[in-house]
Amino acid sequence: MIKVIKEGPKYVVADVTITEANLSNSDQFKAGLVSLLDQYKKIIILDLQELKYVDSAFLGALVSSLKYAISMQQDIVLVGLRTDIKDLIKLIRLDKVFKIFNYADDALFAINK
Amino acid sequence: MQPGAKKLEFEFNNSSDTLISSLQYMLGHINENIPANADVEDVLFRGKVIITELLTNAIKHAGKGSTLFNIETDGRYLIIQKTDNGSPLYLVNTHTHSSIDEAENKKLISADPLNLLFAAWESENHIIFSCEESSIDAFLSVEQVMEHFGILIITRSSDEFTYTYNKESQSNIFKVKINF
Repeated sequence: MIKVIKEGPKYVVADVTITEANLSNSDQFKAGLVSLLDQYKKIIILDLQELKYVDSAFLGALVSSLKYAISMQQDIVLVGLRTDIKDLIKLIRLDKVFKIFNYADDALFAINK
Repeated sequence: MQPGAKKLEFEFNNSSDTLISSLQYMLGHINENIPANADVEDVLFRGKVIITELLTNAIKHAGKGSTLFNIETDGRYLIIQKTDNGSPLYLVNTHTHSSIDEAENKKLISADPLNLLFAAWESENHIIFSCEESSIDAFLSVEQVMEHFGILIITRSSDEFTYTYNKESQSNIFKVKINF
């Protein structure tokens, strides 16, 4: 569900490998993200380009995981969002709490600045 | 039903296995019936997030039976209605409706630094949802951000969103309207 593809001194880039993120897998998704934070203790750059469908349960899991990351003085950065998923995030103003970039390289540039 | 209105009735089996196919089926019907003067992309986006949340709500709260979706379009609006026989929404029986004081009938039901969600009781079992953006100046911490977005997403995506609990049939009726 979440696959690490790159690790740097301050960050981990991870791909979300599912296409549908909803009520049926949101708990598993959150557990995977929290586990990644526990293991690496770094900023997670989460690439969501494979995701086609999300619901409120998935967004709740993302926010809950972000709270955990912030409590560890880390962060979760979102990249590769489809337009409609980005629009949904903006609709409920979660773009005010998540850093969002088009590509992982853009996020890496911002982190390493 | 208005003359010329197109109507679809769809029974959802409350299973996450059929969530995406059910969503696609209902969206397909909407896509075929959006009038030429409407913003197709906007209507499809709003329809998609609303139906997704109503399906998710059905899986979470409607029990083992099925949930009925009614979709109606005409030249002016799209209506998406979901009816199930699950437990009443938690807001039912939490408020004594006053027929006199309109302000008394509107309550803030959820608030965080991003969004404020209100419920207005038109009667004891009929609720109209509305929302406002919170002042970002008051933003203190991500810890304060809520984690339940279903009703908020539907409210923000729609022009009108109501919930009715029919005591006689013990059914929950969620009705969402999008103006073209």
